[in-house]
Amino acid sequence: MAHAAPKHRQLPDKESKLFRELLTQYELKQYKKGIKAADTILKKFPNHGETLALKALTLHSSLPEPLTISAVPKKEEAEAMARLAIKKDITSHITWHVLGILAKSRKDWDEASRAFAMARKQDPDNIPLIRDSIALLTHTRQYGPALAARHHYLLLRPQIRASWFALIIAHQLNGDLEEAIAVYNDYQTTLKEEGATPPEKAQILLHILRIYIEAGKDEEGLEKLRQGVKDGVISPRGECTVLKAQMLSNLGRQDDALQTYQELLEQNSDNLEYYKGYLRNKGIDLSAELTDESRSKILETLSSFAEVFPRSAAPRRLALDFSSGDKFRELARAYIVKGLERGVPSLFVDVKGVYTDSTKMKVVGEIVEEIVSKLEKDASLSDDDSISPPTMLLWAYYFFALHISYPSQISPDYTKSLELLDKALEHTPTLPELYMAKAMVLKRSGDLLNAAYEMEKARLLDGQDRFLNGKAAKYWLRAGEIQKAEELLAMFTKKDLPPTQDLTDLQCLWFLQEQGDAYRNQGNLAMALKRYHALANVFQDYEDDQYDFHTYCMRRMTFGAYVSLMRYEDQLRSHPGYFKGALAAIELYTKVHDDPSITEEKISPEEEAERKKQAKKAQKAEAKAKKAAATSGEKADPPVPDADPTGIQLLKTETPLDDALKLWKPLERLAAERIETWLTGYEIYIRKKQYLAALRALRTAQSINPTHPALQYQILNFNKIITSAELPEQIKSVITSELPSLLPSSPAEFSQSLVAKAKSPEEIYYAAKGIFEVNEKDIGNAKEVLTKLANQDIIPNIEFMFKALELIEVKGTIEEVDSLREKYIIRCPSAWVLLSSSEKENKTKLYKEGIVGFQGQGETEEKK
Amino acid sequence: MDIRQATIWLSLTLADLYHALTWPELSYVAVDPRGRVVGYILAKIGHVTSISVLRPYRRLGLANKLMKQSQEAMVAHYNASHITLHVRKSNRAAISLYRDTLGFEVHAMEKGYYADGEDAYGMRYLFTKPDSVE
Repeated sequence: MAHAAPKHRQLPDKESKLFRELLTQYELKQYKKGIKAADTILKKFPNHGETLALKALTLHSSLPEPLTISAVPKKEEAEAMARLAIKKDITSHITWHVLGILAKSRKDWDEASRAFAMARKQDPDNIPLIRDSIALLTHTRQYGPALAARHHYLLLRPQIRASWFALIIAHQLNGDLEEAIAVYNDYQTTLKEEGATPPEKAQILLHILRIYIEAGKDEEGLEKLRQGVKDGVISPRGECTVLKAQMLSNLGRQDDALQTYQELLEQNSDNLEYYKGYLRNKGIDLSAELTDESRSKILETLSSFAEVFPRSAAPRRLALDFSSGDKFRELARAYIVKGLERGVPSLFVDVKGVYTDSTKMKVVGEIVEEIVSKLEKDASLSDDDSISPPTMLLWAYYFFALHISYPSQISPDYTKSLELLDKALEHTPTLPELYMAKAMVLKRSGDLLNAAYEMEKARLLDGQDRFLNGKAAKYWLRAGEIQKAEELLAMFTKKDLPPTQDLTDLQCLWFLQEQGDAYRNQGNLAMALKRYHALANVFQDYEDDQYDFHTYCMRRMTFGAYVSLMRYEDQLRSHPGYFKGALAAIELYTKVHDDPSITEEKISPEEEAERKKQAKKAQKAEAKAKKAAATSGEKADPPVPDADPTGIQLLKTETPLDDALKLWKPLERLAAERIETWLTGYEIYIRKKQYLAALRALRTAQSINPTHPALQYQILNFNKIITSAELPEQIKSVITSELPSLLPSSPAEFSQSLVAKAKSPEEIYYAAKGIFEVNEKDIGNAKEVLTKLANQDIIPNIEFMFKALELIEVKGTIEEVDSLREKYIIRCPSAWVLLSSSEKENKTKLYKEGIVGFQGQGETEEKK
Repeated sequence: MDIRQATIWLSLTLADLYHALTWPELSYVAVDPRGRVVGYILAKIGHVTSISVLRPYRRLGLANKLMKQSQEAMVAHYNASHITLHVRKSNRAAISLYRDTLGFEVHAMEKGYYADGEDAYGMRYLFTKPDSVE
């Protein structure tokens, strides 16, 4: 010890001994004894900060996990005691360390990192402190201070290899690749790799190669790689060869790169990147418009690979993307025939990737139709005597049914599609895939309830299959049968938890989204918000889970995976799952802002009764639990219950727009390239009356896609709002100077041109919505535009028809809504959501009376 | 379908994360053209933790291909001598895949291995076959 402890920290011998015991007891997890020892010291020295801190820590560690009701006050006591300890002894590393540990357990990373920094100030060379502190600094992305701490650590422990490696990574994360490489070279001359195990040597060398590539030092990297392979330090299988191919490509050494990609393809002939890398080194720019010459070059290459790797579909499938005309027809036919012969269920999903090209979509349809008609007449496709497998016709029906009902068909033929599937079912009535296909076709037609019944049939054919179980649950959710869905899911979730809880713990994103949507569609906005927040929380948990790996990966030496984790976490919320859930929640929040009365609960008498029943049940269960606890002699101490089980607190927020903004902020940073981010941002900012931020959202959206239909409506909306708003001079001048680039003509002209140009369902809907921004009362015109959604030459789109009805409901009369509804229903006779609420009720009642009566051909189907 | 090494970018649960950050070379995924994972193998040295292919993506030989990639990586990077796995006694389809297609053999039976009480077969595949079979 360099200097003696300050007076207020010193204890007499007896207490000093107790204090040391307290430390040991904490480490041995003898919490009760520890607390007793602490109390003995505190009796005499109630202001001893370090004892207070250790008591707080011991108390905190003794609490049950998950926290129970009776433990809540103890937790609060521990937290308060830890803060008091700091006040009593602000220069002790122990008091700060404890405060840091408690903050860490709350996952308050920022506070923890500050507390650890303070602790280190008091005790700079304390190894465990430095280690925890590095993890916290890295976790909170303070790469500079983290690097400094790593450096300090290396000076204290220069003989440990791991300290060198960790410093290399710290430099890389801090963006200094040169320095990372320099540390590696120093390490090699200082420690000479003595005692390193072969996997350790391999991991660090591979990672240095990655750093070389990042630093653009391909030549040197290549030499190191060659040496490493030669010495047997790294295996040429997998990443090593990928790195080699990258370096050779970067250096423009095409022949060597081709050779290397060839080697990679021999290791794994199903990796699309390897094929693309090969083609790029043939001098073909795959991102540019292809010339006829490069097209035939690509196809030639792929066809020779298809011969070398007959068991890989990849080269044959890629060829469909790169071919056109008769060549496409020939290749597609061969590909489809092979898939149908093998009975590959995913063949349609696979092939429909080419449907972005409408000519190719048409050709695929012709090919399959021809196969179907040939096989219906004959047992063989070819002229020789070979017989096609008997299931081939069935799979051809299946493919064709999915093709003709595909949503981008101008006139999807649901009736014929269902007929084809029934024919297939006559052949094999026990194949779940056929019922799944029927369900999908019905879903596309908008008949959600019959779709769910068909999916249920698929599920019943193989009750052990969790995939079918999940699909059926999803279809029930879409049909609004939340209870039924939960009952199904419970067959595969933990028995002692409600299915929703288990699926939340399992981070099951689709379920949270779909159930949220189902609640929203039922008008239960509170529960919908609750599910969307649970979805957003999954991402928070995932981010928090990262913490342990800062230390773990340095120990396991999995540097490449670790650095990639760090980069992944930095853009985690660009995940489509977060995106979708966040947008749905934000939309609800803006609705709450526009009309706070929707937060008032509207429950039907049946729901009321159901709730009472549930409450009674819960009461009974509680009484039973109490009784059981009393007889077993233990005091009942249940875990802390959910503070907002119905989501009503979320919904009744005072600050819906701020809540929305919180969910939106990550998207601004991480999904800035998606136009929906900015369209949604506009809806928040315009309501917050932050006109410049709203303007920026519009301008950014415009830079992504200037013709996006929703953007056109928003421009008109923005113009209307700022015209009537009172704006400070400065803001006004910015807007007046920028507005013409968004709105080049008068609002009326702009709106008219939108109406004239509207061809897609989305354009039609937003053109109509725009009309109201020019003239609030112009229902006649808007309705006329919206009628186009029912036209025969427009792809039927139930979603926008539904939105159109909602729009007219707000602006017009019930008669106007109903006359529009009538037209839509003629175009989409099975679309459940388009029905009026009384019709819906009638239908539901009919359905609930039993499955009989809906064997696929719903009555609405025949109305056509 | 695209078959590639599993990376952090394709995992979203703690179990995947743990495997990807411990044995990054051994886990593989099959990805559809839209970038969605439709099959995976999660493995450690000498043991398959989990292997699965989404129902609609069966009959493409994906499980077979995923297993082969993981096995070859185990030998190349860790010089593994064998690979083991557990399978539910009732899962006939899987047992047949492991035994008939992939050459695994049952070497043990573990009573009540699964949470619901079902027994498991321990299956094993030797990378270098000994001259005499036990």
